[in-house]
Amino acid sequence: MLFNTIDFVFFLPIVIILYYALPHKYRWVLLLIASYYFYMCWKVEYIFLIIFSTLIDYFSGIQMGKKKDKKKRLPYLILSLLTNLGLLFTFKYFNFFSDSINFAFQKINLAYQIPLINVLLPVGISFYTFQTLSYSIDVYLGKQKAEKHLGYFALYVSFFPQLVAGPIERFSRLTPQLKAKHQFTYNNLANGLRLILYGLFIKMVIADNLSGLVDQVYKSPETYNSIDIITAVFLYSFQIYSDFYGYSIIAIGSALIMGIKIMDNFQTPYLSKNIAEFWQRWHISLSTWFRDYLYYPMGGNRVEYARWIFNIFVVFIVSGIWHGANWTFIIWGALYGVVYLAEKITNDTFGLQKSYPAYSFGHLFLALKTFIFVSLIWIFFRSQSFMEAIDIFKYMGSNFHINIDHLVIPKVTWIMLSIFILSDILLYNKRFDSWIGSFPFPIRWVIYSLLIFFILIFSGVENFPFIYFQF
Amino acid sequence: MNIAIKILSKLALLVALLTLMNFVYVQFFFEKDLQKQSKVINKVRAIPMDTDILYMGESSNTTFSKYDFDKRSISGMLQDYFPSLKIHDITKPASHAGIYTILLDNLPEASEIKTVIVTLNLRSFNADWIYSKLETSLQKSMVLLRDYPPLVNRFQLSFKDYDIKIKKQRTAQIREKWAEDKFSFPYSFPYNNVIEWDYAMATKGVKNHKGEIDYKATELACHFIKSYAFQIDTSHNIRIKEFDKLIALSKKRGWDLVMNLMAENTEKAEKLVGDDLLYLMNENRKILIAYFNHKGIKVVDNLNAVADKQFIDQNWTTEHYAEIGRRIIANNMATELKKSYPSQYQAPHLLDYSKVFFENNGEQKNGWDQTQTLSNEIVFSGELASKTDKENKYSLTFSYPLRNINTQFTHGIDIDFQVFQTIPNDSVKLVIELTGKYIENIWHGEMISSQITETKTWTPFHYHFKIPQKAIFADLVKIYIYNPSINTVYFDDIKIRFKKE
Repeated sequence: MLFNTIDFVFFLPIVIILYYALPHKYRWVLLLIASYYFYMCWKVEYIFLIIFSTLIDYFSGIQMGKKKDKKKRLPYLILSLLTNLGLLFTFKYFNFFSDSINFAFQKINLAYQIPLINVLLPVGISFYTFQTLSYSIDVYLGKQKAEKHLGYFALYVSFFPQLVAGPIERFSRLTPQLKAKHQFTYNNLANGLRLILYGLFIKMVIADNLSGLVDQVYKSPETYNSIDIITAVFLYSFQIYSDFYGYSIIAIGSALIMGIKIMDNFQTPYLSKNIAEFWQRWHISLSTWFRDYLYYPMGGNRVEYARWIFNIFVVFIVSGIWHGANWTFIIWGALYGVVYLAEKITNDTFGLQKSYPAYSFGHLFLALKTFIFVSLIWIFFRSQSFMEAIDIFKYMGSNFHINIDHLVIPKVTWIMLSIFILSDILLYNKRFDSWIGSFPFPIRWVIYSLLIFFILIFSGVENFPFIYFQF
Repeated sequence: MNIAIKILSKLALLVALLTLMNFVYVQFFFEKDLQKQSKVINKVRAIPMDTDILYMGESSNTTFSKYDFDKRSISGMLQDYFPSLKIHDITKPASHAGIYTILLDNLPEASEIKTVIVTLNLRSFNADWIYSKLETSLQKSMVLLRDYPPLVNRFQLSFKDYDIKIKKQRTAQIREKWAEDKFSFPYSFPYNNVIEWDYAMATKGVKNHKGEIDYKATELACHFIKSYAFQIDTSHNIRIKEFDKLIALSKKRGWDLVMNLMAENTEKAEKLVGDDLLYLMNENRKILIAYFNHKGIKVVDNLNAVADKQFIDQNWTTEHYAEIGRRIIANNMATELKKSYPSQYQAPHLLDYSKVFFENNGEQKNGWDQTQTLSNEIVFSGELASKTDKENKYSLTFSYPLRNINTQFTHGIDIDFQVFQTIPNDSVKLVIELTGKYIENIWHGEMISSQITETKTWTPFHYHFKIPQKAIFADLVKIYIYNPSINTVYFDDIKIRFKKE
């Protein structure tokens, strides 16, 4: 089920009403059924993957909880890792590896070809496997007690607002909230609805209207003028941001109405002064996951300089692979590594690491620089292949006299995008629900009315699923 | 209690705001949205209020062969039988009962339509069509036409309240349905479902006269199996339910509903796949006719009415018929409608396919192309003449299948017409084109200035064209005047006679 469909418009209120109508001890049952139903709307059979992953991790957790000796816990951690990463590999990476090996075989004239598997990628598999992996690792490390209640554990893995595209929650944050008895409050309802409203606006009005424009340029960049290609590259930055940020805040808002606070996933990332800050503000739940379960265990920055550089690259490349089974994602991750290190070295060498007040010229100048870097790196993320990305760069720099196709951006799209950019600037270090709540009643309702009107009238009508669903 | 009041007051405010938004939407945005998302509404709006018969069709209604003399639609041909009735059509490619119902529901209540004809396409009951990827855009184009306030429709469109599955999901849906539906033959049949049958056909292959596998024929045979190897379950088939809604709407609006069971290429199905497939096709026909007759709906049965050679697409399963095919269906439909409109029925003056003489003084549009060149500015006889100039370089064009001419008369063509030019023109040519699959195409141009130098007066032109021996098997002959200049030249009274020598 997608957040921006009529099904969800009915599904969410029904779940919320039942949630508060039921006695506390049955709420987890309702949420689990609702979460499984939410997932099965997409493909019924794939619920068994979630159940399988849940059972293995539950069992591993229980077993690890019984062992005091870390060594004795290890086999169960391995079982959990193999199960989750095995699922990920089979459904997400098998064809990529087969393709790459087959290509290598071809190059050395080997006739053998590894067969490809033709299956639909289970939506959100990277999200829920990482969520449950963090639990297993924490139990192994002794940071987390094993959960004995299978129902709550299953709900932690599959809680519907953040099941298919995050934020990737930690067991220690989410499960106590799932277990707690929440009273209905008007504030939670209002703040939740504010987030959902804004999320729908930026997904349906911004992302979905930009999607078609960006697609047409990426499909045949050779026919577009350099200016159009550059425009499309920048528009994609806003498309992916509004698409994913939109999803995240709808998820956060939906949970908040039930009294459950999911972590923020974005904090105005395009106002970051450098790449390091960008990754503290973009897809926060994933970057902190990699920090805690990959970067720190490798030693973080408390290692020799060369090793630290290696650690940085590993994290960014793994992050690239997490996003998708394609060389473009690996390059995308590696490029972040390069820019991150380049910025770090330059700043350290020339002492440029100054702190600028928010909205000062220095802040905005550095934010613009970061935005340009990020937009250029997104080219690899958006392209279907390495050559497609290279073509974008090539035509961006050479098609100054081409005028076969022209990117026509409707006025209303410009206006909506400007509203979004302006609101994002104003939201620097703030959250939409509390920010809007600070306005007097008439202004609040003017804003609500405008957002509702924009969503109803100016939404893109093509079906563009959330970009991060494919991960 | 306090919270409840707070929520209810906000809900009331929201309802008031939405009402206001609906007003603003209708005033400033709705029509623009309609023209962008649901252009088909213009076809509905174009139906005159005094229409007697409305023909709802898909591409089968309007698709023609380039070799057709009469390129009109089935509904257009139907008009020949009832000249005094007003017959109009709404044609939307790939549409089906679900789409027809929404379109018909948008006809104004004041419309005087008496009879509605809808196509009953056998393939449209198959999972292959029900879950087709075309459904997404088709369904989307219908959302704004639903019977709700415009803002509610826009809300449904924005929140994707239609079938939005991605291509992979649709393919999976079709495969699942095919796997699930087991065949039930009254005799022993080796395959349980369409997937097994298709696989067996693809593996065994269709053999040619030398006993070798004919891959093209095999692919087509597989396609026939996938298109027609199914059995309609009237209690669960989605399309049947859509037709039920259509019947209910017709009853409510007082229309006499007639279903036009479209012809399928049963001849090819039998030849490529065999009697088993034909059995399923005929069984489905029986099921449909019995089901709809039981509901009091007339069904015109055309399933086996059109011969293989009249199907335009020879390497795919479609309901696209050449001229004679469309004429047969129009004729069968007219025979049924005659029962409701006996006094308005007239046996039409159909084209005489043994005819060898053709003339047009601008009044005859049937079977002639470039009719947009007809003008009443200067005429030799009647009310219209063909005008060529920088806008229209090609005159009224005679376009006819040569195979329809008695072969005794395919040796020469006498061409006569009247010419009116304002200044002497050296670039205007009479053109005779002969094209076909089995001949080398011929393009012959004859300068008009070779005979005509007069200006500002109608002058006769005569030319005899000897058809080369190698071209007598041409599929199509086209005769027209080509005027590449910027000067206006008129033509009238075109006479074409095929000759023995």
